[in-house]
Amino acid sequence: MTSLNAASVPQPVAALPDATVATQDRLPPVRRKKGGIGTTVVLAIGALIWISPLVLLILTSVRPLSDFVATGPLAWPKQFTWANFSDAWRIGRFATTYRNSTILLIMKVPIGLLLSAMLAFALSKLRMRFRRTIMFGVFLGLTIPIYITIVPVFIMLRSFGITDSLLGLVGPYLAFGIPFEVLVLQSFFRQLPDELIEAAKIDGAGEWRIFFTLILPLSTPALATVAILDAVATWNEFLFALIVLNSDVNKTIPVGLLNFQGQFANNNTGLAAGILIAVVPILLAYVILQRWIVGGLTAGATKG
Amino acid sequence: MASSQATVARAPALAGARRRRRKHGGLTPWLFALPALAVYTVFLVYPAFTSLYFSLTDWDGLSPNYHVVGLDNYRAMVSDPVVVRAAINNVIWTVVTIVVPVILGLTLALLLNGKARGKPILRMLFYTPGVLPLVSIASIWGWLYNPNYGAVNALLRDIGLDSLAQPWLGQNSTALAAVMVPAIWLRTGFPMLLYLAALQGIPHEQYEAATVDGATRSQRFWHITMPNLKPAHYIVIALSLIDSFKVFDLIYATTYGGPGTTTQVMGTWMYFNVFQYYHAGYGTAIAVVITIVAIAVSIPYVLSQTKEHDR
Repeated sequence: MTSLNAASVPQPVAALPDATVATQDRLPPVRRKKGGIGTTVVLAIGALIWISPLVLLILTSVRPLSDFVATGPLAWPKQFTWANFSDAWRIGRFATTYRNSTILLIMKVPIGLLLSAMLAFALSKLRMRFRRTIMFGVFLGLTIPIYITIVPVFIMLRSFGITDSLLGLVGPYLAFGIPFEVLVLQSFFRQLPDELIEAAKIDGAGEWRIFFTLILPLSTPALATVAILDAVATWNEFLFALIVLNSDVNKTIPVGLLNFQGQFANNNTGLAAGILIAVVPILLAYVILQRWIVGGLTAGATKG
Repeated sequence: MASSQATVARAPALAGARRRRRKHGGLTPWLFALPALAVYTVFLVYPAFTSLYFSLTDWDGLSPNYHVVGLDNYRAMVSDPVVVRAAINNVIWTVVTIVVPVILGLTLALLLNGKARGKPILRMLFYTPGVLPLVSIASIWGWLYNPNYGAVNALLRDIGLDSLAQPWLGQNSTALAAVMVPAIWLRTGFPMLLYLAALQGIPHEQYEAATVDGATRSQRFWHITMPNLKPAHYIVIALSLIDSFKVFDLIYATTYGGPGTTTQVMGTWMYFNVFQYYHAGYGTAIAVVITIVAIAVSIPYVLSQTKEHDR
């Protein structure tokens, strides 16, 4: 019984091989003892309180407004309805914002991943001048607040004629995604053995072939983690989207949600449904992909 | 093998030009690096420097004409009460949204590293707010804080503390604190994850040896756990510091800087100046100041990362 429990030890850093090293010198299964009920109860109550805003949001979204007004926000619903969702979906123009956020994701994430992987490969596996300077310059991008760039970027987009267009967001999103992606990817590439590359070279493969047929396939876990984290960040980005996108037909989910929030200020159940509509894809992705997300966050921070 | 890089030692007899090329890798690395560097330069580096220039002008953001006014915008900031308010708020924000999540995150990590069951799901629940869009977090808490129908006041009334029910986001005395609560909510998960990973990396032999030597529980904590967590503290605090300077979304979407200008921070005040009051020159000056502070405090971290990865 005691050793069975060990199977449930969390593996927060298992997504990336470099981080798995750390998980291996964890306590061996034999060390686990009985007990822990007290800690479990404390943590479970804490977790319940922690996510109670979300639970309340779900409960509110499935009750009619009249029920909410009659018995207050904390009462268990007496009636249930799906009407809030259809109202919120329609009035919040979620069909449009969903489509826009998805298009943006599809345009941005693969390009960002490829560009970052190429730079990371050059920094970690190729010999190049000014490597350290470039690394420093790129990593410095992690610390730069987005708003230092918004005025010039806005002017630039205007001169290209791509304000109020999803296309206008791709460039700035790529630029602000690159530092983190390069940090994680180059740290991963660095751990691929040089002998593999040497062997491929002796077989006559050039750098490009090595990159596409050797490095990228070997790095699928790291690439997946980075892609997921980047997708979450792209989906959630607000400031650039707020400034660049004006017309309702072009808005992404965060900007659309903000407008919606204003319109639904007095319809608490509809507001709850709208907020849920906006966050459900992220929550689902998080629950399904949490191993990769958690692993990437920890590896990105501890290893880079 | 035109541009090999790692074989210098194996081929010492090559011609000088060839050797130089091998040492520096030639053109190929640059072809790999260029696309990303170009995007990074065009959309981040170049705009940042352009902002530096705009901050020295009286540009309104719309008209084709403007004048270079030197450091006037920076001088004006000193006597702008809102900038002073925003700077103080930024400092309060930074301290509170680092200290509280770090302590909470460390506590959770220590508990989760103990004998509790169902850890993966507990860990997942505590991190959940961290993946949500900031705007949705603002919406959720704006809704919880609603003076009439919000859950916070309803809860206070239910437990007999009617007198404490108040418009949390709508009054000067509580607005900033009320906005920091969701920030703490969403930012506690990250330190928890990092500390948990660090705790699991501590070799168990250290604890065994200490136990054999008769060390108490608190002695083991202060002499084994805490020293081993030092690198984690460093990273958690560095990353939180960087993050807290960027605060914009939450404030914009909950209080819009209000009531009045009570919850303005540098980021929102910059936005209002540029896009509401058409003081683009002044707004960018505010952005420059906060960026310089952000870079200055995080240079040690960036340097350490560069060195660590360039061995």
